[in-house]
Amino acid sequence: MRFKADVQNINTFYKLVSALTSIGSICWVRLSLDDIRFTIIPEQGSQVWAVLSINTVFDQYTIVSQADNVINLEIPIGQLTAALKSALNAVAAELRLTKVGNQPILCLKITSLSGSSGTFGSSFNDQFDGDGQTVDLQTTGNTDRTHEINQQIPIRVLSPETVANIHEPRCPDPDVHIQLPNLKALKSISDQFTQIAIRDTVSRSGRQNRPIINFEANMHGCLRLSVVTDPQNISCLWTELSNPELDPTQVEGGEEGIANHPSTIMKQKGSADGKSLEGWASVRIDGKDLSKVLSIGKLSGRVIACVCDKHAIVLYVYLQSEEEEEDSSVLTYYIAHTAG
Amino acid sequence: MVDKDIPVFTAVSSSARQLFILLRCLNFATKAQVQISAEGLRISAEESSSMEAFAFLEKELFESFQFNPPASPDDAESLSSNHSADIPIFEISLPALLETLQIFGIANPQQPRDSNNNSISSTSRNATNAFDSRVLGMTGICRLTYAGTGSPFSIIMSEANVTTTCDLTSYEPSTIEDIPFARDKLAQKIIMSGSWLYDAMRELESTSPEQLSITASPDPPTFTLSASGTLGSAIVEFSNNKELLETFQVGRKVRNTYRFALLKKAARTMQAAVKVSIRVDDQGVLSMQFMIEVEKGVSFVDFRFVPLIGEEAGGNGDVNADEETDGYHDDDDDEGDDENSEMLEG
Repeated sequence: MRFKADVQNINTFYKLVSALTSIGSICWVRLSLDDIRFTIIPEQGSQVWAVLSINTVFDQYTIVSQADNVINLEIPIGQLTAALKSALNAVAAELRLTKVGNQPILCLKITSLSGSSGTFGSSFNDQFDGDGQTVDLQTTGNTDRTHEINQQIPIRVLSPETVANIHEPRCPDPDVHIQLPNLKALKSISDQFTQIAIRDTVSRSGRQNRPIINFEANMHGCLRLSVVTDPQNISCLWTELSNPELDPTQVEGGEEGIANHPSTIMKQKGSADGKSLEGWASVRIDGKDLSKVLSIGKLSGRVIACVCDKHAIVLYVYLQSEEEEEDSSVLTYYIAHTAG
Repeated sequence: MVDKDIPVFTAVSSSARQLFILLRCLNFATKAQVQISAEGLRISAEESSSMEAFAFLEKELFESFQFNPPASPDDAESLSSNHSADIPIFEISLPALLETLQIFGIANPQQPRDSNNNSISSTSRNATNAFDSRVLGMTGICRLTYAGTGSPFSIIMSEANVTTTCDLTSYEPSTIEDIPFARDKLAQKIIMSGSWLYDAMRELESTSPEQLSITASPDPPTFTLSASGTLGSAIVEFSNNKELLETFQVGRKVRNTYRFALLKKAARTMQAAVKVSIRVDDQGVLSMQFMIEVEKGVSFVDFRFVPLIGEEAGGNGDVNADEETDGYHDDDDDEGDDENSEMLEG
């Protein structure tokens, strides 16, 4: 099993990985010659399944294994984020799978110009947190005045059998799909509503329960977040959002499939001003989960929310890559409906 | 709300932020009483019947202000004859109101300068920076509506394609008694800068006092604040200097004692106020009227405090003052505009 790659776009890679840290701490990373997949399934809360085309982050790479050149790793995502953070000003970064004794290690070799070493002092402190992660600093005596930092992250290698049983959640066809408004604004509202909901649970039961937010959308460009508590009922309604057209080639049954699709049926109900009571697909979700997911706003992608009424929201975050026109990388978040 | 009925009250404010700045002064209570009249909105809060505060949002503060008291004969019967132009007072959750205005109001790019976290202003929640609204691009125009008893008090803001609606549940008020203050039987009246009073309070706070005595006398030392507690005592003296005390009217020496913890709740208001009028009536009730600059001129927030008496006041029982005045006892809550204008002149 061999893995070695030059990290091409450290900034994007860092932003992506740091956005994932809000979801959970342990990440399953699947490396293949086509793509890299990041999956986090925390015990509670929303899941994320991200697929990146390999060219988005790696330039020169070698991925060799006996299982069809697929490598499955379990990585502490926080440590990877910290390591990448220290590489933000690097001239080059190389990611490599090695071993120290019997412990598999993911090693990030960062090459920086010595003149611009302002970051490593602080990153050194950040990183060296006793999690078994080690940082080696070597200054090469060459005339090019570069130095290297090796960040070693202990990981686990997962066998194909282990990951064979991990599946993406299956959802029914969504009732409504809608492009979300500016994520920062949405997150601000979500954060604020979550605070209101938390205070309500505290004032009612004396302890913090899950802050429930209603997330609703219709097929006429409306999205509504709301919180209902005893002293106040507050809601925020966005209108004039876009409901993307379904692609017949992607829908089972083609044109006919679209005609019978739940969202086509939902389109006949409701209104564009959001005043109609009909035509809403709604879920009750934990506001903290939503806020965590919306922190993906840092990556400034296009986000489509698919709402399966009383079931789940699936958020597709399409990352904009600088060179390519089409969305080659997508993060998929699943937030489950809370009954009750 | 039913569309066919004209709501009892509708008002549009172009700045939720200025409402927020004023109402934040009341942020020591969990409930606020709202009284709507043709002149404006009176929002009040009280604590343990020994302190109350109210902000009067004049109709001039709003872009439009419509008050349509219920006129039908059925409704008129239920209203007492003196208050025929008023509608019953109701209560709403004050934190919920402030949270809502905050969502709407922080849009204003002028970040408040007074958001530092001095311990004396710890009564305020961390209210100003939680919401970065430049991100939201909201202008802070909001509409307030109330359809009458039993209806929610609603705040609605529309901005481009985003509409935020907050329905605040209206409750029956627990008590509608005000702390009586005899405006015509004043023992003391001092007008000074709010921030100097705030500075004095902050100095005194360092000894964690339990009581604060306010002494005013025609002879020096003219105006002193003395704090005492288990850790010791401290005194701040103000000399009778026109630049320091803009107005100083006192007939004879007056000394009254109040709970420091209650006065501290007005600290944020002291800090925000341009001027404060500190008045004490013949019963020792302390009124502090704060003049606060808002975008459309000035507004007033009033605090009233009941004095500690006899044993409570640590033996300094020489409670006040002018026994000569024999005017009637004025319970009316209309704000004395004459006094307001006096502060404005200075």
